[in-house]
Amino acid sequence: MSQILDVQDLKVYFRTILGDAKSLDGVSLRVYEGEILGIAGESGCGKSTLVEGILKLVRPPGYIHSGKVIYNGKNLVELEEEEFRKMRWTDISYIPQGSMNSLNPVIKVEEQMIDGIISHIDISYQEAKEIADQALNSVGLPLDVTQMYSHELSGGMRQRVCIAMSICLKPKIVFADEPVTALDVVMQKLNLQTIGELREKFGITVVMVAHDMAWHAEISDRICIMYAGKIVEIGPTLDIFVSPLHPYSRGLLEAIPSLERRFARSIPGIAPSPLNWPDGCRFHPRCSNIMRVCEEVDPPLLEIEKDRFVACHIYGGG
Amino acid sequence: MRIFKDSPKFTVGIIIILLLIIIALLEPKVNVYRLNGHSSTEIGLYETSLPPSRDHPFGTDPYGRDVLSLILTGLKYSLLVGFTAGSLATIVAVVLATLAGYKGGSIDAFITTVSNAILVIPSWPIVAIIVLFVDKVNLLYLSLILAFFSWAGSSRQMKPQIASLKERPYVELAKVTGFSDLEIMFKEILPNFLPYIFVGFSYAVTGTMMAETALRLVGLGPADIPSLGQVLNWALYSGALAQGHYFLTLVPIVVLVLVFVSMNLINVGLDEVYNPRLKKITGV
Amino acid sequence: MSRTTENLLELKNVVKIFTRASFELAKERVVYALSDVSFSMDIEPKVLALVGESGSGKTTICKLILGLEEPTSGEILYKGIPVSTWLRNYMKDYRREVQIIFQDPFETFNPFYRVDRVLWTVIQKFGLAKDKNEAESKIEESLEAVGLRPKEILGRYPHQLSGGERQRFMLARVYILRPKLLVADEPVSMLDASLRAVFLDHLKDFKKNGISCLYITHDLNTAYYISDYIMIIYAGKILEKGSVEEVIRNPLHPYTKMLITSIPVPDPTKRWTDKVKIDIAQLQKVSGRETIKGCVFYHRCDYAMDICRDNSPSMKDVEDHEVSCFLY
Repeated sequence: MSQILDVQDLKVYFRTILGDAKSLDGVSLRVYEGEILGIAGESGCGKSTLVEGILKLVRPPGYIHSGKVIYNGKNLVELEEEEFRKMRWTDISYIPQGSMNSLNPVIKVEEQMIDGIISHIDISYQEAKEIADQALNSVGLPLDVTQMYSHELSGGMRQRVCIAMSICLKPKIVFADEPVTALDVVMQKLNLQTIGELREKFGITVVMVAHDMAWHAEISDRICIMYAGKIVEIGPTLDIFVSPLHPYSRGLLEAIPSLERRFARSIPGIAPSPLNWPDGCRFHPRCSNIMRVCEEVDPPLLEIEKDRFVACHIYGGG
Repeated sequence: MRIFKDSPKFTVGIIIILLLIIIALLEPKVNVYRLNGHSSTEIGLYETSLPPSRDHPFGTDPYGRDVLSLILTGLKYSLLVGFTAGSLATIVAVVLATLAGYKGGSIDAFITTVSNAILVIPSWPIVAIIVLFVDKVNLLYLSLILAFFSWAGSSRQMKPQIASLKERPYVELAKVTGFSDLEIMFKEILPNFLPYIFVGFSYAVTGTMMAETALRLVGLGPADIPSLGQVLNWALYSGALAQGHYFLTLVPIVVLVLVFVSMNLINVGLDEVYNPRLKKITGV
Repeated sequence: MSRTTENLLELKNVVKIFTRASFELAKERVVYALSDVSFSMDIEPKVLALVGESGSGKTTICKLILGLEEPTSGEILYKGIPVSTWLRNYMKDYRREVQIIFQDPFETFNPFYRVDRVLWTVIQKFGLAKDKNEAESKIEESLEAVGLRPKEILGRYPHQLSGGERQRFMLARVYILRPKLLVADEPVSMLDASLRAVFLDHLKDFKKNGISCLYITHDLNTAYYISDYIMIIYAGKILEKGSVEEVIRNPLHPYTKMLITSIPVPDPTKRWTDKVKIDIAQLQKVSGRETIKGCVFYHRCDYAMDICRDNSPSMKDVEDHEVSCFLY
């Protein structure tokens, strides 16, 4: 598979009175064309910051400290905002977390989409309207929706509108951040399936950020697990579930209650703060397989098999 | 407290108003020293219309009074009226807004009707009439009258905020812990409302000061409370500007403007720090 | 107070109607948040899960039990006596015995005060300690019982603790109070996945301290994890109830079946094989319903029959548990 996006050692920090919060502290990742890549991890691990960094949506007091994001031969980090703005929606699209709640309540759904389209490419109102209608149609929304206001729609439907908006200009990649959180279970399934189908229907590469491993089990091809601002494991979905390598991945999978078994076990301890990451391996204070070297040396992310990456001293790199 | 660090506007505002207050507090001592025990409003203490000199940094007015001392006294009384009326108005506004916002229902309806009625009444003419016809209007009466027409606006602004604070889960937790309504209003809601109370207070102070000044400029109001507005009134009626009394006419205006500006800076500073929606933009 | 019945909590035919202003003049929109809800919890400490989605009425039930709202009709009995009577005559006792844990770990704390105040208030309000020393030791004991370290927690403001710590702090509050009935309203939905299990374990363990729990959630997985009994609620009506193994292994109501098949399974070899269809009913917000005619689930049911449109099925014993559906 060919590579479509190459993130190299991206770091995004936040300035605070107590120093820099290193929310994203050196992440390297490749996204392949046509795949559905899942980014998993819990709150504070940096997954949302990763997407914001790639899309240059980091707001002060946050800033991109260093690193490269190569797309189409260009380094997005160094691109001027004006040039990058043209790429949003047309090349790289984004469904932010909670976007269904940030639809404008005083204008109709169709208007909103047209506004968005016109602000990204230079076409007539009529052409934009056609694009908008077509996008809504392609996610299976009936045309009645175009004339409705966002507060008349249920949460799940608003989310579908956001999905439609993100693909209406036929981007190459869509980043979706927690796209189906806070939705009812049936809507969740519906919208998740739609996101999974974006590849079949439109050839779009999808990067889905979600803390719920079950969603990744359903639609992701590969999963990238993050902890404390770094990647700890990457691999094909099945491999990650069947034989997770990193102790955090194992702990995460064991901690999820499911209908398949009435058992779950939490990971002891609490997540560290980006103002003060632990020395050595950041997971070591909570790890049950800890060795001496883990307290002192931060393990690098190594490719131990084809497409299988892990950052843990158990697998070398110490 | 972190607000001083977070908001330079707030800090500057506080500094200015504190300076003015200190000057006003020192006024009795300063004027006793400068005027040898005479009152700054005493006519004919000095020669009339003297130009600025070392003895009289702002000169003297057409009635033979030292302009600097006059302005200091004016500042004192203006601030007194403003803060007294402002405090009265704010206390009433907070109590009524809390009752209306928390209790809702008929209490809310009643208070809202009353405050709307007061807002609709043309306050200025009524205040003018009261002041014109009532014999002896001392500082307290003046403040009461001004406060009466000032509380309604603040109260109306505060009530919806209180009503929304009432919906917070920690209020429900308090109810479930057996707190009485009064306890919830004072211990759970009001402490979180303090920044808004300060904002309401500063609006009340500037509002009443403006109203008082306006009264003076048309010659109304007790002459024995020589606020800055009154000083301006005397200046106008004696044709001071035409005679070249620049300090006499301009300095009171500048001082009043400083009061308004400093209070507004405090307001904006408080808003920047405590308004959750603005927080994200300013990054505070 | 004599116990006239062996049920800790009983809801009988509870109906709750909200009226909302409507755009049409002189008309009010009537919303049936709850239509004819009945269930009971017995004295033996158990965990009863109430599973439903947003708009199903589960939060309304929560408020009714805590006395924050009154039912439009029907009865809510605690130990055989109506909640309204408790609150009128024995409020302190009721508040001592019936408590709550909220969903949002941040908003339940008053940001103006340190977190300690939450524990001190319950000690003071309910006279749980003779003096300051006893109070302090009770506070320490309760924090340790829920896995928090007193030195790291006490004296801090809410924003200085993590979500998991705050929610566990609320557990400490429950531990000190020892209510008989704890209503937990989505207590883990805002917590990280890796922390949910330990929190839920504490709720399960509370049974040993004599605390029954009404666990309200939309998440069948966590409900399955900790509860003994389970009820499925939709649009203000309970559709199915029984022991948790029975309902999950042998779901009877079409809605229950739909819920179970819609949950993503954390197993890539067991992906969904069917596709969900969109229909108009899902377009608009569901919040209770506006008529009481017919079965609440009629519009979304694959098995809908004519009788379902016009009549409301009653709760019947079918196989090993109860369900409300005309299919049976």
